Amino acid sequence: MTIASGPQVGVTLYSFTNEWLLRQFDLPGLLHEVARRGMGPNIEIIGFQSFKEFPDVSDDFAAKFKDMVAEAGLNPVSCAINSDRFLKPGQQPIDDADLVEYHKRQLRSAKKMGFSLVRYQFALPVHLLPEIAPYAEELEIRMGVEVHAPMWAGHPAVQAYGEMYDKLNTPVLGWIPDFGGTASRIPESMLDAARRAGAAESLLDKLKEVWCEDGMSHEKAGRLREWALANGHAPAHIQAASLAFFILSNHDPRSWAALVDRTIHIHGKFYGVSEDLVEEAIDYETILPLFRDGGFTGTLVSEWEGHAYDARDAFLQVERHQAMCRRIFAT
Amino acid sequence: MLPVERIIGEEGLTASSGGLRLAMRLPWYRSLPFSTVEVGALAIDGNPVDLSDAAIAFDGEQWPLAANGEQTNTFWFVRDSAFLVVPGHDLAPGSEHSVELTLYVSPPYIPGMRRFNTQTQSLSVN
Repeated sequence: MTIASGPQVGVTLYSFTNEWLLRQFDLPGLLHEVARRGMGPNIEIIGFQSFKEFPDVSDDFAAKFKDMVAEAGLNPVSCAINSDRFLKPGQQPIDDADLVEYHKRQLRSAKKMGFSLVRYQFALPVHLLPEIAPYAEELEIRMGVEVHAPMWAGHPAVQAYGEMYDKLNTPVLGWIPDFGGTASRIPESMLDAARRAGAAESLLDKLKEVWCEDGMSHEKAGRLREWALANGHAPAHIQAASLAFFILSNHDPRSWAALVDRTIHIHGKFYGVSEDLVEEAIDYETILPLFRDGGFTGTLVSEWEGHAYDARDAFLQVERHQAMCRRIFAT
Repeated sequence: MLPVERIIGEEGLTASSGGLRLAMRLPWYRSLPFSTVEVGALAIDGNPVDLSDAAIAFDGEQWPLAANGEQTNTFWFVRDSAFLVVPGHDLAPGSEHSVELTLYVSPPYIPGMRRFNTQTQSLSVN
């Protein structure tokens, strides 16, 4: 077993969502491309994006997947699972027992495929952790809850999870920071995409203003929507502009320091890295040293989310992002 | 159009035994339970199509569109097309039609989020 001496840099296949949806690669092909470009060996895969059999992966497929990653020389570190609690839109969330079982199905599949940890989500109510943690212990797989915008270290839900983590005191539970929660600004590339979709400058100015205000993301999205409808903006333009509320928030980048100790994996969220290796919205120069100096030895996976609004070359973006992260970690 | 915005599938429009079959792609980055997806509207050559007797077909299974909201444990694999099957429409193979489709997606881990996508495309009937 390799002993990690510092943070590792890998990639999540989520970065290649455009290429995947366009069917430019099948799974073995994408794994080979990632390996060929030296973006591994550590990778993350979203179960519900790349595995047709998810959440119940068969033994047969699990064996095939293990062969695939071994052949490509990759290491399946993280499997992103989902806390799908609202299966019937507009109705009550599913029962706690069903939600627990939904997680167990995904944990079993991830373990079977050789992943060492899963990413899970705050949509899992904190009071269910005592039921799920022993199952993860039994399977010997770690679970990291993704601290994703609008969450951040100081969010009440994160605090409640932290208290439960203290109470359960198990090494299988931890954090997966996603840096989108501490963006310094809305990426210009995202604003450009909204402009291309027809959004007027006045709508984007208001977006930038409301995005910096206090409040929950959905409240702020509602505030923008109300203003925009009253001022004659089209629903499609409002939808394009509102994306920023759901994937980015503007909390203090230094706030991650509070979570370093229990961080088991990192989503290196980014939107666009320039030729001179600077990310356009997230302050990596401030954030990464917190983890480097705090003793983090897990994997940061490059997670390009520009595909949500842009068709740039994801491979080029990931190459730049990994170069940027390696440089900062090595400083 | 971004790949994630595409909702009319690559397999297009097919005439089949007195009805039509339209390929649909899921406008999201990951697979979702069918219950979280709604077919909002379909129009062919500008005429709204009655979907009361329509069905969804996916991976060898088929169920009424009206019961789609109950499909909480059937997952639409994001890389595959699902098919909207509409009886009672006679379209000649080879004929060209303007197809307008609207889908709504409510991601099941983001309370309150409901996105819509509309796509219009000219298709030659297979």
